[in-house]
Amino acid sequence: MDYILNGFVEAFRLIFSFDPEIIQIVLLSLFVSFSATLYGTLIGVPLGIALGIHHFRGKKVVSRFLYTFMSFPPVIIGLFTALFLARSGPFGQFQLMYTPTAMIIAQTILVTPVIMGIVFNHASTSGYEVVQTGKTLGARRWDILILLVLELKAVIMIALVTGFGRAISEVGAVMIVGGNIRGFTRVMTTFIAMNNNMGQYSVSIAMGLILMSISFFTNSLLYHFILGDQNEYRD
Amino acid sequence: MNIETSHIKKIYKEKTVLSLDGQFSDLQFESGKIHGIIGPNGSGKTTLMKIIAGLIAPSSGAVLYNGQPLCQDIFSEMTYSTHTPTLFSRSVYQNIAYPLKIRKQEKNAIDQTVSQLLEEFEIDDIKDQSARHLSGGESQKIALARALSFSPKALFLDEPTANIDPKSIQIIEAALQKRNREQGLTIIIITHNLSQAFRICNHLTFLDQGSCLFSDTPEKIMTTSHSTIDEFISFNRF
Repeated sequence: MDYILNGFVEAFRLIFSFDPEIIQIVLLSLFVSFSATLYGTLIGVPLGIALGIHHFRGKKVVSRFLYTFMSFPPVIIGLFTALFLARSGPFGQFQLMYTPTAMIIAQTILVTPVIMGIVFNHASTSGYEVVQTGKTLGARRWDILILLVLELKAVIMIALVTGFGRAISEVGAVMIVGGNIRGFTRVMTTFIAMNNNMGQYSVSIAMGLILMSISFFTNSLLYHFILGDQNEYRD
Repeated sequence: MNIETSHIKKIYKEKTVLSLDGQFSDLQFESGKIHGIIGPNGSGKTTLMKIIAGLIAPSSGAVLYNGQPLCQDIFSEMTYSTHTPTLFSRSVYQNIAYPLKIRKQEKNAIDQTVSQLLEEFEIDDIKDQSARHLSGGESQKIALARALSFSPKALFLDEPTANIDPKSIQIIEAALQKRNREQGLTIIIITHNLSQAFRICNHLTFLDQGSCLFSDTPEKIMTTSHSTIDEFISFNRF
């Protein structure tokens, strides 16, 4: 038990020592995951809304594929991304393998179905009614789009935070395409996995605490600024 | 707005849910009147209304509005509300103001119109509450106030007073009759409440199993001898 307690003591010491390497790893993790979430949002939200509010043949099949991709193992996504980005792969000429860009690509592939699936699900159920109601009140195409985004605001934010949570916490994809190169592609999760393998539990615990703090902070922001507004009426 | 339908047919998933032919192949909903559509469940009332409101396309047949086919300008002068209205997740005031905002009306004009409607529908005390967490009756009144806010020329209502208290029914009926009388608003209303149909409608259309069995004044439906209509009326009496 001592090594666990000592691990926590050492973890807090490491956090408050503001170690430049730790800071660099945290910042890179945030950059990669925020970028992936941003691209995932730009792709997933419009597609999720469009697929959700329109009725078309094969919608059920599309939704099944979408939900399957939502739970795709990161390591498989990492593997396929690596196959495409590797020197001998179709995009080998861009020399993206083992770079933060490759990590962003892999995480974007990972989070886009998550964001798209959540938005699609809500757009399918409540979005169609909102569109119909907007139309009957005289809303034109642009008005309906604004109305829909505002009505799905909380859902979009939940999708975004869920996507970010999936991105920042995954290890398989970034390990494969990033390579966990010190000072270049090492992120929090690969750092934890590596140090755990080496028996350096204190730094693993320290990074784990930072990771949990980031998750808690982003969720708190969501509840405070978005969901809090809606909850206040529920008395 | 004068609305005419001609040989409307709607097939959904290979099943004919509405087919207006024979004596009542062409229906006319005259301008400035309150038209009731009545009939048992699954008779095609909502389908007919949605087709007239331009929300779904008929499989065949046509609908003309003042002699013209549906276009965006005509569509934006009509509105439709159901007994389960979709209210936006914003305040009651903002819901009623929405049609006016998208029509770029000035803030003072919006304020004035919304205040009048809040007072008329007796929902002034809940104007700042979220419209998402209200009772059925309140939601119905908000939806109707919102629908009337931009003074449409035609109003389509699918059971607007279902499951709400008598006072709210009275408020809604009074608001409809006032708009019809003062602004010549054409109203088409689906109702299961025959006494309501007799109270406010100038014209009734009876549908059963996708066909029209009657389309005339409320007085005449009482003298029509048709077993389905007789049964419907007798059930409504008790």
